[in-house]
Amino acid sequence: MTRLSFDKSLYQGPCVDEAVKVYGRFATFELTEAPQAWVVAVSAADPAREQKICRELSNYALGLTITQRKAGA
Amino acid sequence: MLAELAPRLDTSSQAFFRFRQVGTQVLVTNFEGHWALLSPQEFERFATGTVEAGSPLYQRLSDNNFLKATFDTRKAADRLWARRAFLAWGPNLHMLVVTLRCNESCLYCHASRAPMDAVQTDMTRETAEKSVDLALQSSSPAVTIEFQGGEPLVNFPVVKHAIEYAKEKNKVAGKQLEFTMVTNLALMDEEKLQFLLGAKVQICTSIDGPQALHDAQRKLPAGSAHASAAHWIRRINDAYTAMGLDPTLYKVEALLTTTKDTLSLWKEVVDTYVALGCRALFLRPVDPFGWAHKTAARVEYPRQEYLDFYRQSVDYMLELNFKGVQILERYAAIFLSKFFGRDPNFLDVRSPAGAGIGALAYNYDGKIFTSDEGRMLNEMGDRAFEIGDVRTSTYKELMSHPTVRAEVLATVLDGQPDCASCTYNPFCGTQSAHNHKLFGSIYGRMRESTVCAVHKGIQDYLFQRLGEGDPKVLDIFQKWTTSRPREHYLQPLPSA
Amino acid sequence: MHHAITTDLSQGTARFTVDPSLYPLDAIYGAAYVFIDRCYVFLEKDAQGQVLVSLSPKAPAADAPTLERWAGEFSNELLSCAWRHQLAAENKTLLEQVTSLALGGAMGPPSLDDLANFDFSGQALEDPLGIAMSWEEKYKKKDKKAEVAPAAAPAAGAPAEPPGEKR
Repeated sequence: MTRLSFDKSLYQGPCVDEAVKVYGRFATFELTEAPQAWVVAVSAADPAREQKICRELSNYALGLTITQRKAGA
Repeated sequence: MLAELAPRLDTSSQAFFRFRQVGTQVLVTNFEGHWALLSPQEFERFATGTVEAGSPLYQRLSDNNFLKATFDTRKAADRLWARRAFLAWGPNLHMLVVTLRCNESCLYCHASRAPMDAVQTDMTRETAEKSVDLALQSSSPAVTIEFQGGEPLVNFPVVKHAIEYAKEKNKVAGKQLEFTMVTNLALMDEEKLQFLLGAKVQICTSIDGPQALHDAQRKLPAGSAHASAAHWIRRINDAYTAMGLDPTLYKVEALLTTTKDTLSLWKEVVDTYVALGCRALFLRPVDPFGWAHKTAARVEYPRQEYLDFYRQSVDYMLELNFKGVQILERYAAIFLSKFFGRDPNFLDVRSPAGAGIGALAYNYDGKIFTSDEGRMLNEMGDRAFEIGDVRTSTYKELMSHPTVRAEVLATVLDGQPDCASCTYNPFCGTQSAHNHKLFGSIYGRMRESTVCAVHKGIQDYLFQRLGEGDPKVLDIFQKWTTSRPREHYLQPLPSA
Repeated sequence: MHHAITTDLSQGTARFTVDPSLYPLDAIYGAAYVFIDRCYVFLEKDAQGQVLVSLSPKAPAADAPTLERWAGEFSNELLSCAWRHQLAAENKTLLEQVTSLALGGAMGPPSLDDLANFDFSGQALEDPLGIAMSWEEKYKKKDKKAEVAPAAAPAAGAPAEPPGEKR
């Protein structure tokens, strides 16, 4: 299981949620909230796949955060 | 230089300017594109605010709007508008890629040509018609339809149909309509030629240099690509003369793609063009599109080597001009025109660039791109510059596409790091598709850009030659910027 | 950007910190976005508020110098984005004007179809000076009966009568 901690000042919560939805069928996710971060626990079939999913999801969340910010969201 | 002047700098007398050392002189330019070449002593007086009123230097700086006391706002506005008059109109260049099939295989093929049996890459008559319909809706009063490929002669029936269709539709559209064709000429015959001459199509071809170099880089399955092109260049030029057209004005245009093997053959390249009766050559560097991306190890080179080649070539061309041989270099002509206050509207060297708002490329399958380079990237699997389809897109939808807006914004030099403070800002331009390919963003990073290196290097060379003050060189440079309209290529409009 | 780039070959990752007081967040985002097609980019904040960038090329990097080159390219892009951010703010008016002129020129004037499809019915504009009002509407005599009821407050900034004119 990998815990991804998305700093609230750098990632928008809805964008993290959306990223989890997009990758929802590839792994098991548990979402929690820490004072400074959105936390996503990721569990997948094997470590290599889990790492790939974590990275793709993180990129997706970052890309969406950036475009939403540009759009004024 | 500045370090010595720093304690004495006085900015109270100068209007806005940028500066750059060029050879032994200092070039100053301003926002609207006036310029002056100053000796180090003159620059020192300018920078320290100690230019004597009434002196020749004062007059020269004043005439070019570098002094606050005599700044002429009207003059600046007029010059600025002359530089950006193209903003008033939409795309004037419309490139129809009528097929990807090509009978030649070129080492650096930017177009990612297809083999001769790939008929699925031929544009249909219907797609050509819809492309012409869109082109004639441009807000530009002048429209040039350029046939490209692959090799456009492979799909000659559609070329012919598009020309006839456009001429008919233009009776209503009323544009200043011209046709051009970029062809390797190897499939030309008398029948095609007679049609093209009758339709007033301007022919442009490629000549990479002497026969051995040309044929090594541009392979024709049977025979010499160079011999074939040379034969038809002469035939077409003779035909223009027989038609009573001024032979100093009407010639087949030719250009080359400079590869690594070209660099040592600068004299042979120029001599080849002169021998073919060409009056212009365009020393284009290789681009990172199409096959050139894959053959980079063989064709690419550091841009300083290209600039050495460029200087040697143009120096030689000037020497020939002094002996009465009329041959000009296109990049030089473009930049010199801008230096002398006239913008020739070359789409890749202007701010903002012509992607979308100056040109559109219509692919064989009806997809529309903001530039030919954008279309080339599409053939490489990158659709970033696709903005529509001739079957479904309206002209207004194309012009309001977010990609067009983004490319306009990205190529306004006043928003671009380095360009915003560059002395060549008034004369230069950046290419968003090129930036996207090399840097992953349409803005790019100019210090690492091969296009920027070429533009700066050519302008440095030209200003150095201008700074020498040789009246023979100045006379030739002025001649290179003389624009003589070639009205023969304008399609006649029905009389009122 | 902090020049200490650490590389983790097992993860194929280069890490470095960026000072957000030197590089605005928009510049960090801008640089990150340019790389997310070729790299996995993860942003964190350390205890001092510095932004920690983890950059993992999608094509696995064989050695530390390759990872450092990726980090170097990122830092060049970051500088470019930061400067462009500043230029956009300084030259905003010029950039907007040139872009508007370019797009307006390319679009050309509205066609008859464009005008036919345009909705003129709505109150599209605020009109505090009453410029869009007809003369009759602007200077019509008031209905005496309407004076009995309290009048609605005039729109902010709208003069009750044009200055210098008497009816």
